[in-house]
Amino acid sequence: MHSLRDDQVEVRLPTTEEACQLLYFEARLLDERRYEEWLELFTDDAYYWLPMHTDGETSDPRSHISIIYDDAERRAERVYRTLHTPVLDQSPPSRTVHFVSNVEVEPATVEGAARVWCVQLIAEMRPGGPSQAGLGEPRWFAGRCEYRLRYDGEAWKMALKKLALLDSDRPLYNLTFLL
Amino acid sequence: MLTEGVGLADLVCDDEREFRIHTRLYNDPEVYAAEMRAIFETTWVYVAHTTEIPHPGDYKTTTVGRQPVVISRHEDGQVYVLLNRCRHRGAAVCRMESGHSNFFRCPYHNWVYRNDGELVGMSQASGYPDDFDKESFGLVRAPRVGIYRGLIFVSLSKEGRSLEEHLAPARRYIDLWSDRSPVGEIEIVPPPHKYPYPGNWKWQAENGADGYHGNYVHQSWQKVLERAGEAPVKEIKRYREAGAAIGLEYGHGLLERPGGLNPASSWTGRMMQTFPDYADALRTNFSEEAIEAISARRNIFIFPNVYLFDTHIRTIRPVSVDNTEVFLYVYALKGVPDLLNQSRYRAHERFYGPSGFGSPDDIEIFVSCQTGVNATGVEWVMLNRGQHRERIENGARIGHSTDESPTRAIYREWKRLMKRGVAGSAAQEMRGALA
Repeated sequence: MHSLRDDQVEVRLPTTEEACQLLYFEARLLDERRYEEWLELFTDDAYYWLPMHTDGETSDPRSHISIIYDDAERRAERVYRTLHTPVLDQSPPSRTVHFVSNVEVEPATVEGAARVWCVQLIAEMRPGGPSQAGLGEPRWFAGRCEYRLRYDGEAWKMALKKLALLDSDRPLYNLTFLL
Repeated sequence: MLTEGVGLADLVCDDEREFRIHTRLYNDPEVYAAEMRAIFETTWVYVAHTTEIPHPGDYKTTTVGRQPVVISRHEDGQVYVLLNRCRHRGAAVCRMESGHSNFFRCPYHNWVYRNDGELVGMSQASGYPDDFDKESFGLVRAPRVGIYRGLIFVSLSKEGRSLEEHLAPARRYIDLWSDRSPVGEIEIVPPPHKYPYPGNWKWQAENGADGYHGNYVHQSWQKVLERAGEAPVKEIKRYREAGAAIGLEYGHGLLERPGGLNPASSWTGRMMQTFPDYADALRTNFSEEAIEAISARRNIFIFPNVYLFDTHIRTIRPVSVDNTEVFLYVYALKGVPDLLNQSRYRAHERFYGPSGFGSPDDIEIFVSCQTGVNATGVEWVMLNRGQHRERIENGARIGHSTDESPTRAIYREWKRLMKRGVAGSAAQEMRGALA
């Protein structure tokens, strides 16, 4: 473990192992639909962000729309909606398998947080009766992730989860499970 | 059992009390092919907004019916809609979704076209005689292109109503929609949200102005609003009773919710309170009465493929009889504070798009419908809600907000066009236009 100075504040960097532990744990919470526990992994000022590609970049949320751009309140709303309201688009609910790979801890900090890169491959399927359009077909989503992590004295927390899907600017069907 | 030998136009039964449409409209590839010819490749179809191609050289690609097209702005400032196909051996000359280019070069044998379609030249031109008529081998231009308040429409037929005539029944509503900007203009903010669904295009065309489904399909959304302290579910349900569902002539229609300037119940009222600059700008340009008319919330359908919503322009692109792509082009209101537009983008993300709290519930219904109509043992889909109570004013059929007046409007125009198509006139016109 080492640390760097960022704006006169001592910022701790995670080891690759620590970063992996957090990312794998997050993946398992999502796959087990433990969405309320997942909320606890974020800092209060964190964003959960699925941007869209435009002109080779990912879109700036101040001037563009994203697929998802959730602050703490919107994240809580999303989880509440998915778990505790009569949603049609998660009835039946998605099964998911999150793969996490290519984890890199950047040897520098950004805005008081450690930056961690990885790629993710998410398999998803909603079970259903025979010949039901939109159900029973496994789907795959690949994307590159940027996480920003902060140590709160007890645990590593996510100050940002940004997932840029490979096909963010293509038509996407039902992304109402948590990626 | 299905009756054989029925003309396509008869698949819509415009009965006074039991308006209904045949199941084949949703799952018969033959009906779909006829729709592409007689509707999409004949009537006026929305293709782009002028702010997507503001400068000479800008282009965007899409399809009109089955025809891939390039929409380009030439140096003369005009908008051209060109079939995206080299006149030589058929390769697409433009493969990006949007961009900037004054020329389109075929990648196969290097034929080069200007962005108004004109053939500049062929490579190794000595392989063609000196009198080769280059002028008649330009990219094929759509015969008619029209623009109203920035909305670009194209017709692949030389004949038929003018755009002005086509839009006339909906014009007042397009104006009110545009005038939510104090300068009466919007600007598309790319990229659009996009979603596909394994279902027929008309499920989306019908649903955007359907005021009947909200209390059931969007129960979840109502709970979200209640949790956020924005409105109790009871109040939302009452709000959803108010307003009107209106079927217009020529297939257009809308769902309208009451306006007003009360910040508690009206978006416009709330924005005018939060952003005094916006209130001032509106008051400078419009009377109090006009602002009230503007403030009503409307989902406006322009037949056959575009909706004007409060946050976005929604286009419907049929892909096959049971596959559709929907693009949601979010736009900025011009002449308003940036923060106001930013709040609109966040509100849009919250409800719309692939991960929104509303759209995916609607789409779930479209695919349920597509699955359900496989039960062809039932012939008809009923669209008669509110027929006994709608009133007619200047050709508009005004129903209760939960009535199916806008949906019936769609199918009256569908029937008219399919009748022409069946007679062969539209198909012939098309060949004439594109020859």
